[in-house]
Amino acid sequence: MKSSSAVTAPRTAATASRAVTDGPRKRIRRQLPSSPWLFAAPGLLIVGIFILYPFVSTLINSFTDKRTLIPGEFVGLDNFRELLHDDMFWIGLRNSTLYILGVVPALVLLPLLLAMLVQKHIPGITFFRSAFYTPVVASIVVVGLIWVWMLDERGLVNAVLEAVGVGSVGFLSDQWLLLLSAMTVTVWKGLGYYMIIYLAALANVPRELHEAAAVDGAGAVRRFLTVTVPAVRSTMVLVAALSSVAAFKVFSEVYLMAGPNGGPAGEDTTLVMLVQRVGTGLTGRVGYASAISVVVFVVTVALMLLVLRADRKEDA
Amino acid sequence: MRISRHPRISRRAAAAAAAIAVLLPLSACGEGGDGGGSTDASGKIEGEITFQTWNLKANFKSYFEGVVDGFEKKYPGTKVNWVDQPGEGYADKISADAAAGTLPDVVNVSPDLVAPLAKAGLALDLDKAAGKYEKEYLPGAWKSHQIPGMEGTYAFPWYLNTGPLFYNKRLFKDAGLDADKPPKTYDELFDAALQLSKKSKGKTATLANIPTIEDFGRYGVPLMDKEGTKFTFNGPKGVELLKKYKELYDAKALDGQALNATPESTGKKFLTEAVAMNPGSALDLGKFKKEAPSLYKNIGITPQITNTGKDNMYVMGVMVNTRTKQTPAAVAFAHYVTDAAHQMSFAKKVAIFPSTEGSLDDPYFTKEDGTDDTRVRIAAAKSVKTAVNYTPVLFSEQMKIELRNSVGKALQGKESPEEALDNAVNNCDRLLQQS
Repeated sequence: MKSSSAVTAPRTAATASRAVTDGPRKRIRRQLPSSPWLFAAPGLLIVGIFILYPFVSTLINSFTDKRTLIPGEFVGLDNFRELLHDDMFWIGLRNSTLYILGVVPALVLLPLLLAMLVQKHIPGITFFRSAFYTPVVASIVVVGLIWVWMLDERGLVNAVLEAVGVGSVGFLSDQWLLLLSAMTVTVWKGLGYYMIIYLAALANVPRELHEAAAVDGAGAVRRFLTVTVPAVRSTMVLVAALSSVAAFKVFSEVYLMAGPNGGPAGEDTTLVMLVQRVGTGLTGRVGYASAISVVVFVVTVALMLLVLRADRKEDA
Repeated sequence: MRISRHPRISRRAAAAAAAIAVLLPLSACGEGGDGGGSTDASGKIEGEITFQTWNLKANFKSYFEGVVDGFEKKYPGTKVNWVDQPGEGYADKISADAAAGTLPDVVNVSPDLVAPLAKAGLALDLDKAAGKYEKEYLPGAWKSHQIPGMEGTYAFPWYLNTGPLFYNKRLFKDAGLDADKPPKTYDELFDAALQLSKKSKGKTATLANIPTIEDFGRYGVPLMDKEGTKFTFNGPKGVELLKKYKELYDAKALDGQALNATPESTGKKFLTEAVAMNPGSALDLGKFKKEAPSLYKNIGITPQITNTGKDNMYVMGVMVNTRTKQTPAAVAFAHYVTDAAHQMSFAKKVAIFPSTEGSLDDPYFTKEDGTDDTRVRIAAAKSVKTAVNYTPVLFSEQMKIELRNSVGKALQGKESPEEALDNAVNNCDRLLQQS
């Protein structure tokens, strides 16, 4: 068909060219209103089902007394009022906040130092880069169990401490040491991830700046403070934001090291552990757990805003 | 630019998204399910049902396939789909299924799992639907799935389990204790534990676990009122037990990590000879032999510590979902799995005990053959005849955590034993009201 019409009605080059471009253009114009939605549909569907729906559902549930097997009724702000008098909620809030205070400064600074170290072009440095990144890809359960084994009363660390005369330390039996141990695991596991982010940022710092500073007589510390830190400051803000949100939502490390009970007398319970404990199981209080989740969400958003505000102030 | 020229579409899309966002969560608040089938189990036994077990496929696949085949042959026109769930998170799986209306027709449960399901109207009352089978089971076992405050029985009793207490004879001898006379009562246990700790200068603890609700029961503490409306373990007897444990904790006779111990971690401590006593089952002997030969050489086996003369036992049950469309087939299958013949053949495959009348008098549970396994089995079978499931069926996982936390505070000296138990009872009563 095509060849016969070409033979019977030959077209000029201009006509042919217009025919080629006009057709699709018209089609594109016709399809434009709906096609962006179609392209976005898979993503929107995933966001809707796995983020938007659970979020709105949690918000609604937080104002009900819904339980696992009982739909529940609207109870207004009762769940939030109950939170104020729940000792375990305050313990969770305290521990989650302490986690931020303990983990974030370490995760902002240590990976930067590590990145500066492995940035150097010396033989065998690739091995160290890989080694530092290994904990990131290791399963948190495996990592948790290894640390529990090492920090046990009869574990590797205590064996060394006893050998050097310090004596056994109750890393897993004292509530504060347990929290500190869990923070250590979080920092150790996160180092490699943030190191990679810093490596990318450091690659953009002009070498000339360092050379000029060195010529002016600046030492290593001075160059770090006046050249490196200002150059990667926006990355540091990003790392602070990411790590503080992750720290506030900590679950696995504490759960694995302190046990499902949340350490001695539940004193190491974090807010997310509390959500899991209160809201799951056949007698789970879904409404109350949702109220705790809403608090976690509000605090997380507030944290992000705080970090971004601090960044903007610095820029100004 | 292009999109802004078509505001009606974006507004419509936004409206649809908003509607979905509002309506979807509301739909989740619905009852779920469609009302299901009948509670009358007298009809023809036919149709397709699903049977769910609790972590049994790995070791007993062929046994359950045989049971399913046997049932399908006995009742032509029936089909049983057997599914098994992992041990970890079983309660969460059941609660998710129950909330979504996808609970299988026949479900393996324990009494504490069946209680909320019965309250939510999801467990069939077997007194009404299958009361004729009651006489086939031990009276105590049949009652184990009755819920205080509710009429009826909500699961067929299945297998029972009780375990001995293992102890390390070498550690006992080192502490100057008579390794052939292990403690039988709590007072004897506390004396032995304090001596063991003193002689080892605090290096060896006797126990790695803080007291659970079962310990309170075995100590003779009244746990709950008869109506099932409030807990009572904060009485003088409960306080006395907690004071004794505090004494052990201070003397390092209780392991330092006992406050956040799990059954797995305590088992490991016993395996590595860090603690002198640990509860277990006949299955553990093989593990000791394989993983800790030096412990196996010194292993001692004694009945559970009890002041009441009755051991604690764990009861498994099989419930029928009220929403099943095949009630006669589901009830018939639940009975078939738990009848005397099948319980006996299952007991010969694993160290469990049948809950059916007369089964424990079988020579398999009474005749010695000189092996350790048989010795443990016979001793356990003897104790199971009088054993009690001390854990109240209404004592939920959250309540267990409340008790653990309160006990932990008392042992650390943050609260007095009286104060800690009062708080635990108040919190458990509050949870009971909310359940």
